[in-house]
Amino acid sequence: MSSFTRRGFVVSASTVLASSIIGLKPTFSQSNYPNRPITLICPWGAGGGTDATARIIAQVMEQKLGQPVNVVNRTGGNGVVGHTAISTAAPDGYTIGMLTVEIAMMHWQGLTDLTPKNYTALSLMNVDAPAIQVKADSPYKSIKELADAIKAAPPGKLKASGTGQGGIWHLALVGWLQSLGLQPNHVAWVPSNGAAPGMQDLAAGGIDIVPCSLPEARPMIDAGRAKSLAILAPERNPQFPNVPTLNEQMGAHKSVGVWRGIAGPKGLPADIQDKLVTVLKEVYDSKEYKDFMSSRGFGTQWAERAEYGQFMDESDRQMGEAMKAAGLAKA
Amino acid sequence: MNELLEAFRLVLAPDVLIAILLSSIYGLVIGSLPGLSATMATALLVPVTFYLSPIAAVASIIAASAMAIFSGDIPGCLLRIPGTPASAAYTDEAYAMTRNGQAEVALGAGLWFSALGGIAGTISLVVMAPVLAELALNFSTYEYFWLAFLGLMCATLVARSSPVKAIASMLIGLLVACIGMENPGGVPRFTFGITELLGGIEPIPALVGVFAVSEVIRAIVSPEPPPLPSRKFGSILAGQLALTIKYWRQMTRGNIVGIIIGVLPGAGADMAAWVSYAMSKRFSKERKKFGTGHPEGLVEAGASNNASLASGWVPALLFGIPGDTITAIAIGVLYMKGLNPGPTLFTERASSMYALYIIFILANIIMIPLGIMMIRAASYILRAPRATIMPVILVCCAVGAFATGNNLFAVILVAAFGVIGYAMENNGFPVAAMVLGIVMGTMVEQSFVTSLIKSDGSLLPFFERPVSAVLATMTISALLWPAFIWLWRRFRPGQQEQMS
Amino acid sequence: MRLSDRVTGSFVATLGVLAAYGGSQFPPVPGQDVGPSVFPMVIGAGLILCGLMIALGVGHSFEDEAEAEADLAEIQGLSQQAMPVNPLRHRLRALLPPGLLLFYVYAADRIGFVPTAAIMIFASALAFGAKIRVALPLAALAPIAIHLIFYKLLRVPLPPGLLPMPW
Repeated sequence: MSSFTRRGFVVSASTVLASSIIGLKPTFSQSNYPNRPITLICPWGAGGGTDATARIIAQVMEQKLGQPVNVVNRTGGNGVVGHTAISTAAPDGYTIGMLTVEIAMMHWQGLTDLTPKNYTALSLMNVDAPAIQVKADSPYKSIKELADAIKAAPPGKLKASGTGQGGIWHLALVGWLQSLGLQPNHVAWVPSNGAAPGMQDLAAGGIDIVPCSLPEARPMIDAGRAKSLAILAPERNPQFPNVPTLNEQMGAHKSVGVWRGIAGPKGLPADIQDKLVTVLKEVYDSKEYKDFMSSRGFGTQWAERAEYGQFMDESDRQMGEAMKAAGLAKA
Repeated sequence: MNELLEAFRLVLAPDVLIAILLSSIYGLVIGSLPGLSATMATALLVPVTFYLSPIAAVASIIAASAMAIFSGDIPGCLLRIPGTPASAAYTDEAYAMTRNGQAEVALGAGLWFSALGGIAGTISLVVMAPVLAELALNFSTYEYFWLAFLGLMCATLVARSSPVKAIASMLIGLLVACIGMENPGGVPRFTFGITELLGGIEPIPALVGVFAVSEVIRAIVSPEPPPLPSRKFGSILAGQLALTIKYWRQMTRGNIVGIIIGVLPGAGADMAAWVSYAMSKRFSKERKKFGTGHPEGLVEAGASNNASLASGWVPALLFGIPGDTITAIAIGVLYMKGLNPGPTLFTERASSMYALYIIFILANIIMIPLGIMMIRAASYILRAPRATIMPVILVCCAVGAFATGNNLFAVILVAAFGVIGYAMENNGFPVAAMVLGIVMGTMVEQSFVTSLIKSDGSLLPFFERPVSAVLATMTISALLWPAFIWLWRRFRPGQQEQMS
Repeated sequence: MRLSDRVTGSFVATLGVLAAYGGSQFPPVPGQDVGPSVFPMVIGAGLILCGLMIALGVGHSFEDEAEAEADLAEIQGLSQQAMPVNPLRHRLRALLPPGLLLFYVYAADRIGFVPTAAIMIFASALAFGAKIRVALPLAALAPIAIHLIFYKLLRVPLPPGLLPMPW
């Protein structure tokens, strides 16, 4: 695989070279960065939440920078291809990308060697914590009751769904079960193609619990088919003020949900980092971005550079723990 | 009533009308390029919708996706290169009609019955949304398993070759669907250490390979066929009324099947077209004509896939559950524009809802004149010499496949599937059956495995649940019927001898 | 490329054996009775069965009267030719389209989209028997038109390479 992207590096370098020889486009110089379009790689397909987030960021960046910012969906390999493309791009600031939580998960499964360390962390843009959903008419009124019911039930009796085997919400559930002192498979995991089919199966009565983010659960909650018992985050989500936090009800439990951030390849020059982080901060504070994120119900959280790097490392560590516990990590 | 008037006012705003017109043209162009799907057309519209009013934003998505699904028929009919997986079921039939000099009838049927199907689907959306939504919600993985299984069985019906070879092709398709880690276990399978294969093989590169590239290969090794008699296309709609009257039963059946399949999340236009084409053949009085350029199957499948497109919006609007990838994108746009999906959309924002209905109808009506123009423009392809068309198609295959994920690996897949498709076709293995296997494979496995987890390993719920039981009966009888007939024919004469 | 049923049938059966064997190697997944190995093995078994039926010609008797006459000739009639026996050189041309696609993969990032596409079109047009005076303008103009549609309208990031387009 790396042959592909290493070639990408050679090519982009030679592209610059070739275009400077032909003289059609000026070479880039650091001082007046950016003077040509920037590519923002999105490792997931068009139409999803990551794609939508990348596009709104690109759009606002474009206004602030005065240069086009093109979102390029580099899909394939379940996110590996796009993440690799970001890490192996030329570190000239003209190719950056959106990292997603999968970068902290895939290497544990032995799918890639990439870890958050392979990037120049720029800024964290979005975090969505998991919440625990049950059917609207289920007997559990609170997360406490649900926890007691889980403890009382024989292993494998209750079923949960919301993503594929070893996906982020599966790990969130495993983490919570462990904090209750239970085995990771005490609640059986039913793999699904994402949260929406999981929520549908919840409404249809096929499963008992769906851990997923609140924006993903919202349609079924609004339709009166499901209810959310608790959000596994330190604070309530302002979009969903009625959903209590797990901490309020049962005491602290740390859980990382999905997150998305912007990063470049390793070795991005400091002045370009400065410029990009400044612009990304402006994007983050812009009305367009806030409006978009709140309309989708996506949570926003800011962290820049080293701080974002630490955030990713922490996420990486937690994912590794949960995956090992669930028997999903490669030795 | 006031709300209805308000809805008309919303739709007839100039910006909405312009959005509908432009995105229709855009959808027609993209759908007709091999390798570019309706989903992609929709996804590329999203950044544009940022600048539009809520109604105009949704209108552009509705219009573009409806047009793209129809215009996917055009390259299938003219060049035997289906534009979308939904067209693959009846591509051979439509192409046979073109070879018989009936291209305009085939395309006209695609257009006319697509438009009617779209309108029927919209009516179902207006009248029965809550009922249909309830049906969709009661579909659990058990039902999906039977549905997917039933879909796979269409492979044997659609092909005109030996059923054993059709089944073998379908199994090869299922095997292809196993590649990657998109399986219930999340285990990478048959990836041979290639990272690009982790995500599995997308249907689009496979489709482009087995249809378009293999067609180019076939053309290059064979002498130029006698040119089609050069003539102007006749009226595109002329025969359609007669077809509508003759095949109204098939059309209605197609509409109903399309509406039901469309409502089910995860089963979209692709499956609707396959099931309807297969049903049409199974129940036809003229089965022998199928595959030789007979419009009956086109009528039913065309009516079905566009109906499913409209009814796919039911779960999307009521519960925010995407019926397919197109509505998944549309849901995002709805949220962004403050039209949050949910039952309240139907009550509190009734005028917006009515406006959406009107847009659906409008899009399907203007599909007819725009589609006619598109067909006329595309008909020049038939007159161009093969030596100029085929090279351009080859480049389009490469670019179209690349565009699905901006990944050159897809182009390698296209080349590989081109060779596979050519070899299969030459030896009587229908490639359409393989495409069906690739499209349905994940669903069969996923629904089976997850059902067993939910039932703690018991097979009973597959037969116990009411809808599941009905589907199971249908599947098993369809499965056993040919064997029964065969046995009956084989042993019956012997028994008679014994008796006499 | 036309092979006897015996050959294709054996090939299908071999594929089935490989699939079943490959499938049996996958590790079980905790919590799933039907693991990742089951489906490939079932498919493999099906392929073996189908392959044997094809190779031994059992399949033909399953066809009922509607399908019976629809055999190879017809499928090929559909795809517009009766496959006359071509000289080897002629048949080798079958490798050109996939070869050109692989060339695209190799060259697109190196020399850019327009030159790559021009070479593909020129080569294949000649192979189709076009005159040079047709092939040359086609190779010059068609890539630019395709570039315009895909790059501008569809925003597909085609590599600019040696010949960046002005848009």
